[in-house]
Amino acid sequence: MFRTDEIIKAAKLPPEGVAMSRHIDYIYFIPILFVTIVGTFHMHFDLLAGDWDFWIDWKDRQWWPIVTPITAITFCAALQYYNWVNYRQPFGATICILALLAGKWVTIWAAWWWWSNYPYNFVMPSTLLPSAIVLDIILLLTRNWTLTAVIGAWLFAILFYPTNWAIFAYSHTPVVIDGTLLSWADYMGFAYVRTGTPEYIRMIEVGSLRTFGGHSTMISSFFAAFASSLMYVLWWQFGKFFCTAYFYLTDDRQRTTKVHDIFAYATLAHSNKATGGKA
Amino acid sequence: MNAKHAFKLWMLGFCGMATLAGTPVLDVTPAFAHGERSQEPFLRMRTVNWYDTEWVGKSTQVNDVTELRGKFHLSEDWPRAVVKPVRTFINVGSPSSVFVRLSSKVNGTPMFVSGPMEIGRDYEYVVKLKARLPGHHHIHPMYAVKDAGPIAGPGGWMDITGRYEDFTNPIKTLTGETFDSETKGTATGVMWHLFWAAVACFWVGFFMIRPMYLIRARVLAAYGDEILLDPIDRKVGIAVLVFTVTVVTIGYLNADAQHPVTVPLQAGEAKIKPLPVTPNPLSVEVTHAEYDVPGRALRMTIHATNNGTQAVSIGEFTTAGIRFTNKVGKANLDPNYPAELVAADGLTMDNEAPIQPGQTVDIHIESKDVLWEVQRLVDILHDPDQRFAGLVMSWTESGERLINPVWAPVLPVFTRLGA
Repeated sequence: MFRTDEIIKAAKLPPEGVAMSRHIDYIYFIPILFVTIVGTFHMHFDLLAGDWDFWIDWKDRQWWPIVTPITAITFCAALQYYNWVNYRQPFGATICILALLAGKWVTIWAAWWWWSNYPYNFVMPSTLLPSAIVLDIILLLTRNWTLTAVIGAWLFAILFYPTNWAIFAYSHTPVVIDGTLLSWADYMGFAYVRTGTPEYIRMIEVGSLRTFGGHSTMISSFFAAFASSLMYVLWWQFGKFFCTAYFYLTDDRQRTTKVHDIFAYATLAHSNKATGGKA
Repeated sequence: MNAKHAFKLWMLGFCGMATLAGTPVLDVTPAFAHGERSQEPFLRMRTVNWYDTEWVGKSTQVNDVTELRGKFHLSEDWPRAVVKPVRTFINVGSPSSVFVRLSSKVNGTPMFVSGPMEIGRDYEYVVKLKARLPGHHHIHPMYAVKDAGPIAGPGGWMDITGRYEDFTNPIKTLTGETFDSETKGTATGVMWHLFWAAVACFWVGFFMIRPMYLIRARVLAAYGDEILLDPIDRKVGIAVLVFTVTVVTIGYLNADAQHPVTVPLQAGEAKIKPLPVTPNPLSVEVTHAEYDVPGRALRMTIHATNNGTQAVSIGEFTTAGIRFTNKVGKANLDPNYPAELVAADGLTMDNEAPIQPGQTVDIHIESKDVLWEVQRLVDILHDPDQRFAGLVMSWTESGERLINPVWAPVLPVFTRLGA
């Protein structure tokens, strides 16, 4: 079914080398890469879009669909660069969001439930997994990061709201408390006391998109798509910067050239010809 | 790195780990407060002057409904360093949501969202709470000011007994359904998260079952990507793409059909009128104030005029939630007010006689107690704006309480003269 045999043959590794490479795959992929993404991306995401993702009463029509995809596509683009350019693996965005959600659920259980006693529904995170899967597949199908920035990044942001409406639609059901109309999410934010988070802290829609005929979500999603596209390009380049390895080769006539073939480094360094560079 | 150096580093790391590991064994005690004493004295004394705070039902069962209520005066001496109260919110300071807040009213108006309040005016709040988590909890009223932060009021202990597992909070929605705030939406959310995680794991797993990194990097460097781009990847990719978009669409439409009536998050502004100004026949002005550091006493000289028809006796000075009373004030003290915030005999005057109608007097008042130190209010002497504010309370012969806000600069007295 797969071209695995052909690929292994082309790698020109002895059988024990192939077996070892699989061990390296597993050791590197799960304990190192995945956990590193959990640690770094989770922190990055929570610092930029944390409150919208933590609290049900921040999940509004204007800021939530803008802030979340724009913040999330960053590491996805960088990880896509790393996985695609170096290995032609189309799962950079998916593994990124999976790691993010792993970190999220650890936090939800340990910090929000076990430590702070907030109910799960109050701190339910949004999901970007469908967006990430689509982003990866667009890269696989187009094999082109520019087209992925245009098509994939747009789909990444546009799919966010409908994906999460399935989870959070109920929270916009109206309730009346003390003669005041609230959404269920507003009521939850009011009922579950957050000492350090008074109501005015919320950055939510206050009616300033009124000129668009009430279609706040559509406007926000399209703006998020546009901004995600730009963000994708920027972070793809970050990925390129941080994943580019090179060294300098000094030949017999003492001419120095920049070399990107990292597989040649060990041999050349052994003969004292390779110097400096960036790994 | 030689062996000796490595051994030193190893020992250092071992000691660090041993210290961390030993910490919980040595002392594990719950935190009993929220750092309210760490707030600057000028913030606690010159913004919100709390009074009549009541923790109704200090011992409750899970699911019991109780109240936190009281009044506050927004000080005329509002500090320059604190943003004016143009967007404020009455909050509850508690260790997480040990109670759920059923309603919150300020001067009878529901306060679900923030709103402006007026400096120099009084407000009355009633917060209805439903007991949720068993324990011994320290509960404060809090006044949050946008761009300035929360200002903690006095803290009182409230006990909740019973089992959390018995807690429920059903609320009827406008569409006729009843949602329990503890559980509504949890199962649906978890189901969708697990579903998408399974799809994502399939997608990543589809590539994990084949060589992932080293072999592919070698092949890519040697031959380019023609061999690596397996045609089956594209076919599966298209199938997963169609599947994903279809499920998202169905999920969206299904949720929309299940919840046809929705409203956006509500983000208005609470319009709250202050309490009406009640006529006060007593006028009080502070002409001099000093803080005696070794004596732990705030001394002030007031110039008071009684324009009423009854004699008036001063009985209490309160600031930052702490109360200094003499025998007059003590007789009117709420016995349920936290004892640790009261200096019952802490208020003395050089002239204890009631102020007669029409009389103008200068009185030296001393509020003296270790509470100034315990509550860290003595730190006022380290502030760049050394002033105080509070409320002087007095009673007429007929028992009517008069409240006079006072404020003034404070001069420090670092050594006792003549000592």
